[in-house]
Amino acid sequence: MSSFRRVFTSSVGTKLLIGLTGLALFAYLILHLAGNLLIFFGQETFNEYSHKLISNPLVVPVEIGLLLIFLLHVYKAIINWMGNQAARPVRYEKTEWAGHKSRKSVSSVTMIWTGLMTLLFVVVHLKQFRFGAWYEIGSPPIRDLYRTETELFTAPAWVAVYVLCVILVGFHLRHGISSAFQSIGADHPVYTKRLVVWGTAFAILIGGGFAIIPIWVYLTR
Amino acid sequence: MRITLKVWRQSGPAKAGTLVEYAADNVSADMSFLEMLDLVNEGLIARGEDPIAFDSDCREGICGACGFLIDGLPHGPVRGSTVCQLHMRSFSDGDTLVLEPWRAKAFPLVKDLVVDRSAFDRIIQAGGYTSINVGGARDANSILIGKDTVEQAMDSAACIACGACVAACKNASAALFTAAKITHLSLLPQGQVERYTRVVRMVDRHDDEGFGSCSNEGECEAVCPKEIPITNIARMNREYLKATLMRGR
Repeated sequence: MSSFRRVFTSSVGTKLLIGLTGLALFAYLILHLAGNLLIFFGQETFNEYSHKLISNPLVVPVEIGLLLIFLLHVYKAIINWMGNQAARPVRYEKTEWAGHKSRKSVSSVTMIWTGLMTLLFVVVHLKQFRFGAWYEIGSPPIRDLYRTETELFTAPAWVAVYVLCVILVGFHLRHGISSAFQSIGADHPVYTKRLVVWGTAFAILIGGGFAIIPIWVYLTR
Repeated sequence: MRITLKVWRQSGPAKAGTLVEYAADNVSADMSFLEMLDLVNEGLIARGEDPIAFDSDCREGICGACGFLIDGLPHGPVRGSTVCQLHMRSFSDGDTLVLEPWRAKAFPLVKDLVVDRSAFDRIIQAGGYTSINVGGARDANSILIGKDTVEQAMDSAACIACGACVAACKNASAALFTAAKITHLSLLPQGQVERYTRVVRMVDRHDDEGFGSCSNEGECEAVCPKEIPITNIARMNREYLKATLMRGR
């Protein structure tokens, strides 16, 4: 029997970790989107929500946990991608997609690139929001995140960058959600087929949901 | 029919290879793809040239010996078929077809369209067996197994180890092959004794051979001559998880 460490470095173990961390990040995105959509209820509601969130003592430990999950996902995915590149040193002269029952799509063949773009985007996004301009409002004063957001999205270039990036996240999820369930071993005669459909639906909802916000802010400000 | 072939010619593992064009004339639509290649080879031999090397054995689609890419698709464009059971009526007069061997680090090229697939044998040796003392033949129904389980196990056992799954996979992963063997044995009572050591050993061997990991695209399932579904891979992942979490290693 091989060492315990091999559990996490084997092809199956690696994909199990990528799948589990991916699903955790997917769950987080749902919560994140739900929170962000509160911006449609106006400045006060949005700021109250953001204040409740950042004044919770658990927020920092949760953020650190989330960061570790994110980094593990990125690290394992990059290692996995490099190993997969090495598995076919000589390329084909001619290749076709098999079609039929295959789930191969633009989304599935670009996972590493949409993933790396998401990584870049997350760095910029954290800098602009989590560690971005700090305004205060009301008494006692709380952070006016609404102002930070609306100021950023008065610039059409940033609106475009955010919309493009969240669409890429949507593409990543389009293959990622159903793939993650397969990686952790979920298979069922009925639900497996629905998983692909639901994964696509969630990808559109999350990508589209996040994309609407900067556009809406830009148009209404 | 007249078919133009562009065939990968490589005289040995360390030699440089290239696509070489051949004309196949007087091809009957009723010929199998391999019979058409036999015809081309007869012409080459008559001219004193080296015939195109390719694997074949039963030519009935059940042994798993044959296989190469035709225009970028393992076993060609027909679903659920090996190249020996692919007939020239699936093509049109005047077609130009590119023939290439399976490409994978774990399948070193031997010659032309022939690759060494003994990595598959080593994966089987790692755990694709049941340790049963063989004596006289036992009565076939002495171990009762439910009909559904039998059918499911048989669907996985249908794998002929041709290697098309590896060839089609963008990661040159043998996940479908390995998973089919693991699924087949893990479903049956005879496979229970080694159930958890098997999955770990076979996956480890799969990785050591240099195959990639599964991206869950299902190109393998689409080209598999036995149409083995990737739900087998989900089962392998589940078995692996159980083996490592519940039993330690």
